Amino acid sequence: MIRFLVISLSLVFSLTSCSLKTTEGLRPIGLNENGKLNKEVENLYFSNPEIDYVYKAKIKVYKKNFGGILIVKKTGPKNHRVVFTTEFGSKLLDFQFDGDKFTKNFVVEDLDKKFIINILRDDFKLLITEKSDILKAFSSEVHNVFKAQSEERFNYYFFEKGTGKLQKIVNTTKRKEKVEVNFTSTEKEIADIISIKHNNFKLTIDLEKFKKK
Amino acid sequence: MRNYLFLLVFVLIGGSIAAQEVAMSASEISAFKQKVIATAKSTNSIKADFVQFKHLDFLANDVQTSGKMVFKAPNLVKWEYTNPYQYSVIFKEDKLLINDGGTKSKVDIGNSNLFKKLNELIVNSVKGNMFNDADFRVSFYKVSKHYKAVFVPKDKKIANYIASFELLFNKDDAQVHEVKMIEPSKDFTRIIFSNRVLNSKVNDSVFSN
Repeated sequence: MIRFLVISLSLVFSLTSCSLKTTEGLRPIGLNENGKLNKEVENLYFSNPEIDYVYKAKIKVYKKNFGGILIVKKTGPKNHRVVFTTEFGSKLLDFQFDGDKFTKNFVVEDLDKKFIINILRDDFKLLITEKSDILKAFSSEVHNVFKAQSEERFNYYFFEKGTGKLQKIVNTTKRKEKVEVNFTSTEKEIADIISIKHNNFKLTIDLEKFKKK
Repeated sequence: MRNYLFLLVFVLIGGSIAAQEVAMSASEISAFKQKVIATAKSTNSIKADFVQFKHLDFLANDVQTSGKMVFKAPNLVKWEYTNPYQYSVIFKEDKLLINDGGTKSKVDIGNSNLFKKLNELIVNSVKGNMFNDADFRVSFYKVSKHYKAVFVPKDKKIANYIASFELLFNKDDAQVHEVKMIEPSKDFTRIIFSNRVLNSKVNDSVFSN
């Protein structure tokens, strides 16, 4: 009886502790294997202070659609401005990230609700965070995967083997995937298309970079 | 001595600014208003290309988009962005008909006074005929080739979004050449019209999504 309990308990434990789909089928690798791996994982898509990052945005919340323009600029070593405007140019929100400090410069009245601000703040923070300490490293046939801490959650960074391009970030709790960001890029440090998808409610943000003339 | 030099420079610069932009006299204002109203009355439709510049102080370059605008009297307007993306908005009664790169939606603005006001501004600024709007304080200037009308909102709620609204009119035909919307943060949106065609036939089907 006790033996049965131990087995079933350990089974439950092992099932819940391994229930993240993100890491299914991935092979854990040592951080210092071949001395190749860095201690930090880098997302360079918003890292160049010379570039005005301008995207056409389409936001879908449940069945409602919104459009606009998302503008991101690296304004200092650890500083980013993120501004969202309508197509006509009216500002809807203006966020500032200075390291871990977050400032809401402006938010249009209709959007100025705590839960909306928090979701968008976290999504944009996920996009612009450049460097994080690696907790664990994994590998599959096509990806090198790095796990990093993100406050009380985790971010898994998926890099395509060979090209070294960052293709996906998955934000998770210990047991559940919360947000998935997919990147499509032709140049290594420029994301042409970004799609942010929330798993616990129906919110997607699709971004397409303005084409050069 | 140095102070005098500063003063001199200041006066010279101040003088040159004043030379570029002069407040219009009462009689000039009334003649100009009449001309704009007469032009607006005789205008049944307008087609024009536009270029939009969104200026944000932290950007290296303004965000540039462009497209076409169609107006049909009394109050149908279609803004169509074609570069770098496809996006159109039709202002029709109390509704906005939006086509965002194939994704169509309809927004009812009947309940939102603020939104209604902003839309009214867009529609009226195309025609230029918005001098009788009780919600704004208006002042008039002469600037080289143009007349400039500056609208400052009286309503505090609108003032949270728009510090002022500027229209530049061609001196010769009293048509709107440029619209500039300045935000309280001093960031602004500038829309410049070109290739204007007046009173050509415009089908109502242009204004359906």
